Amino acid sequence: MNIVGIDIGGTFTDLVGYVDGAIVTSKTSTVPSDPTKGISNSLDLAGCDTRNLDEILHGSTIAINTVLEHKGARTALLTTKGFRDVYAIGRSNRIEAFNLMFKRPEPLVPRRLTFEIRERMLASGEIETPLDEDDVRAAIDELGDVQAVAVCLLHSYANPAHEKRVGEIIRAARPDLFVSLSHEILREYREYERTSTTALNAFVGPRVGGYLQRFESFLRDGDFDGKIHIMRSNGGVMSIAHAQEQPVTMMESGPVAGMIGAGRLAKVLGLARCVGFDMGGTTAKASLITDGAPAIESGYVIGHHASGQPMQLPVVDIVEVGAGGGSIAWVDPTGGLHVGPKSVGADPGPACYGLGSGEPVVTDADLILGRINAKRFLNGGMPLDRAASEAAVTDKLGTLGLGVTEAALGIARIADVSMSLAVRAVSVNKGVDPRDTAMIAFGGAGPLHAVSIAREIFIPKVVIPKLPGTFSALGMLMCSWRQDFLQTLIGRIGSLAPEQVEEVFRNLAEEGRSHLVRDGLDAATADFRFYADLRYVGQEHALSIPVESVERLTGDSGVVRQRFDAEHDRRYGQSAPSEALEIVSLRLVVTSERGDTVAEEWLSQPFEAEGEAEIGKRTVVYDDPDNPVEADIYWRPALPAGTRLTGPAVIEEPNSTILIHPGDEVEVTPHGHLVITLATRN
Amino acid sequence: MSNPKADPVTVEVVRSAVVAYADEMADVLCKSAYNMMIYEVRDYCCGLLDTSAQMISQNRGGLPIFLADLGVAVEDGIQRYGLDGFAEGDVLVMNHGQVCGQHLNNVVVYAPCFHDGKLVGFAANRAHWVDIGGGRQGFGSSATTEIFSEGLQMRSLKIYEAGKLNETLYQIIRDNIRYPDASLGDLRAQIASCQLGARRHGELIARYGQETVAQAVDTIWDQAEKAARLVVENIPDGVYEAESFLDNDGRALDVPIRIKVKVTIAGSQMTVDYSQMHPQVNSPMNCGRSGGIAAARVAFKALTSPELDVNEGCFRPLTVDLPDGTILSARSPAALGQWSIALPTVIDTILKALSSAIPDVVPAAHKGDMGGCSFFGFHEDGSRFLLMNIFGGGWGGRPEADGASASVSVCQGDVRNTPVELQEIKYPFIIEQHALRPDSGGAGRYRGGLGVALTYRCLQACKGNINFDRTVTPPWGLHGGGEGAVNTAIIERADGTRQTVQKGTEIQFHPGDRVTFLTAGGGGYGKPEDRDPDALDADIADGIVSPESAGRSYGRDPQPVRLAS
Repeated sequence: MNIVGIDIGGTFTDLVGYVDGAIVTSKTSTVPSDPTKGISNSLDLAGCDTRNLDEILHGSTIAINTVLEHKGARTALLTTKGFRDVYAIGRSNRIEAFNLMFKRPEPLVPRRLTFEIRERMLASGEIETPLDEDDVRAAIDELGDVQAVAVCLLHSYANPAHEKRVGEIIRAARPDLFVSLSHEILREYREYERTSTTALNAFVGPRVGGYLQRFESFLRDGDFDGKIHIMRSNGGVMSIAHAQEQPVTMMESGPVAGMIGAGRLAKVLGLARCVGFDMGGTTAKASLITDGAPAIESGYVIGHHASGQPMQLPVVDIVEVGAGGGSIAWVDPTGGLHVGPKSVGADPGPACYGLGSGEPVVTDADLILGRINAKRFLNGGMPLDRAASEAAVTDKLGTLGLGVTEAALGIARIADVSMSLAVRAVSVNKGVDPRDTAMIAFGGAGPLHAVSIAREIFIPKVVIPKLPGTFSALGMLMCSWRQDFLQTLIGRIGSLAPEQVEEVFRNLAEEGRSHLVRDGLDAATADFRFYADLRYVGQEHALSIPVESVERLTGDSGVVRQRFDAEHDRRYGQSAPSEALEIVSLRLVVTSERGDTVAEEWLSQPFEAEGEAEIGKRTVVYDDPDNPVEADIYWRPALPAGTRLTGPAVIEEPNSTILIHPGDEVEVTPHGHLVITLATRN
Repeated sequence: MSNPKADPVTVEVVRSAVVAYADEMADVLCKSAYNMMIYEVRDYCCGLLDTSAQMISQNRGGLPIFLADLGVAVEDGIQRYGLDGFAEGDVLVMNHGQVCGQHLNNVVVYAPCFHDGKLVGFAANRAHWVDIGGGRQGFGSSATTEIFSEGLQMRSLKIYEAGKLNETLYQIIRDNIRYPDASLGDLRAQIASCQLGARRHGELIARYGQETVAQAVDTIWDQAEKAARLVVENIPDGVYEAESFLDNDGRALDVPIRIKVKVTIAGSQMTVDYSQMHPQVNSPMNCGRSGGIAAARVAFKALTSPELDVNEGCFRPLTVDLPDGTILSARSPAALGQWSIALPTVIDTILKALSSAIPDVVPAAHKGDMGGCSFFGFHEDGSRFLLMNIFGGGWGGRPEADGASASVSVCQGDVRNTPVELQEIKYPFIIEQHALRPDSGGAGRYRGGLGVALTYRCLQACKGNINFDRTVTPPWGLHGGGEGAVNTAIIERADGTRQTVQKGTEIQFHPGDRVTFLTAGGGGYGKPEDRDPDALDADIADGIVSPESAGRSYGRDPQPVRLAS
């Protein structure tokens, strides 16, 4: 199998492939005006001929950028009579609690394009008021030049009959429109979040659909006749056809793929529980990985935490902090030193790029501390100017009365602590003891800071995979086809009629099978996993608990009960084994392995070193600004499997640098990954 | 401070850590809570305190009105037991009316933090229990005149002593409240949250040492103080006064309540003088001193450093003059059931006083109440239900933008309304509309935000409380802007009779009765004639300003609106 993964990010388009038995990679600039041009460049640079490929996997930021830049379709919304303003009212909350000029999410659909339809479902799924089809037709007459329509009717998660009929009428009358029905996107109660998710889908639909069509034509024009898969937020991939219908599911791509890759690596290395850590230019991201898979959240906010758009669909649980190589260090008027969340972009970049930003950033600090090689940044493509870094630190942080090195160390330390809080949020906060975990670090800047962060929160072991700089594109090659299904069903365990629970299980499984069949996959070999969202009666927030079969809920529920109590205790520090349990929703996750496991196999293939390993010495500042330490510098591609070395050391490779602290021990695994065991310190 | 300055890097490390710990405490509390006042309304706060009950850090995103006021509760325990009177594994409960100054539903739970066997501080939280016993249910009741009829009081009592449950106290709580399963579930969540905070506090000290952490905290406080002073210094010195009125106390319906404030700016110090505030009332619309102080603090924080985390240092440049015996400093045994009702108006009035001094910072008045409803009764199976929901309303026009619509009050932050679908799943009601209220925003160059309209139809007999205010002094405009529409509720009986209601306690409803809540809009900012005509046309096209209202308030010709694309 010849496969290629292409990850389009904001700055770079990364490619990692496995072609004719060898790994190929490339890193090129993203071409925002014509992303397929960037793809074409990256294929050329990697020497890939599309005719020779069996499969292409693709992750893109187009959906999320369409939202962030507000460049989506002119979209209309149809709602139940009386609820035209659900979308504008939202939850009425003000996250910026003390800000008198606070901002809340702005609807993507203006009120003048929101139309009410006479109809009413009840929570039970019974029809209270039948659908008035004339209202639907009247609304259609008003649509004019809209390109997309979202439909979200009250309680459609319980009974979608009206929504389905509304969809039929619109599609018949206006086949040119992109139509998004809420029950097709998610069948969960909470009208605002469902409306927002459906509207997001409609808003991005036409633009993303057009892009995917161009992407596919570009490949087919190049005589590519293999499979195409698109990366999605839940950590899986999907067909182009599905992505065109539900583009809202492709909001997150690159970082998610990186975490999937980290999970696969954890399996190779036998790490039951670890933290995936990805640090780039503007943010750092962390995710908890258990038994080879990252945790999944049931939704998040796209954009600013206070004014972003809620999206209520499964997404790999990634905690992000505004600390990256480009995060700016600054002093507030009261004399407090901070790092981030503002960052310089790739242009003008850190002070050391010499392009005139003059802002001291984390990368400048790393350079001043001797941790990165001024001559070998981006594989030697960009020489760095240390004097410019020092000038920026002196200029902007001079009032603190710290020496340049001391200030640089402070910047690095503050960034490390801030990133360690993200790692803490996905581990300690979830009841996981970091001393029982390892960290898998990747991204351009991740391997440089990983050890400090791990030490900060007592993680004893850090793994730097092969190809850390393009690890996300590599991770994409390892993603399975995946689709999540959910159905709200509220009632106590024991008092819900077994037939009701069975029916929901049956419907979910049927839906799963039909999606597989549509994408040409074999339902018999796919993996079906059921979960129940449970809570103690009276609670609101629920925890997802695996259930192997419907009998676990309808028959003897002792096992599920135990799992829930234990999970509740782990997450919240207490449980109530004598209280009644309530089901909120049932979930089904269907995965289907794509059949090409070459990338995973590459993770555990023997590693062949090439070239000269030891390339010199450099003074590096670790913990004491007044006492730099002489560290050995190594070239990673030349370090053979089985190599053991002890810090202080710096290991350089084409797109990343790994900092080894004094006393820490490194071992190159037989497959070429680095495992760093941290020395115990007080 | 006698401590030498901690280095800036350690300060920043401690600053991030202590807030993250408070957030972590809040997450545990919110996610495992049993009542919507916690999991939706976020009516809670969590924080770490030092051994003199000073606030080191507080969670972000809780209720603004809970501003650095856990201290009084913990201080009471320190006085009672002495610093050597706490053991590892102790957990205390506290809601005493006179000490805490809030309604008794707000229960503080706190735990001492130890390091190497030595007391190093406290972790504390406060959360709104759905019921605390006594003669009132839900919110909005005007039934009480003394604290003793408002429920169970617990003054710094140890629910756990050195890790051992105090069964007697537990039983007293269980037998004296209406929803013991929910509230004891919430208590469990509060305790777990405090234990977590205490553990984290100990870890921080183990890592950096008590002396260093104390130095860092002092510096953080000094910096918070300095940030606020830098802002106050830029407000012109002077004495600024403003006055407004609440409609009544819910019992004496013809006596408006006077909210009078005097704000003095002198250099970098701000003084809020409440000495002409209305005297305490013979209804539950009182709060203790901490409520009056909290209102001044919310206004101060919003004006000086809204983006910075809350700690004890933020408020050093603020002095509050508050004589005893006002509605913001009621003496025992005043009823406190509606302790927070006056506070949004108090805050609005403080801002109004300063609106001439700093016109670029102060928006017009917002809806001005806490906005909520409660219905209670029995399900068909005989179990009790209590539906509570919080409403948004309009905020005032801003110096450079229209006011926000349908947003919770200045006293509420990340407080959420309850989804219609969730309410219909749990309670015997059909909600017929949840909509913006056109024409409710005050006219102005920058229009006030809109209130909401929410209609409940009862499917079963039940009772409900209605508590709307701010009709005597509607949400005012500034600099020529018009007033927002006022709060009002309309009851339509199944037989077709209709009645407008502002306040009512335990109103009986029957199947088929409807109640519509119309919440206030915000005031306008600047003269309506200065409004951008395109913005006005867009409002008309969107149906949030009617053509008639556009003619009346803005003098717009009744020509058809061209639809903007």
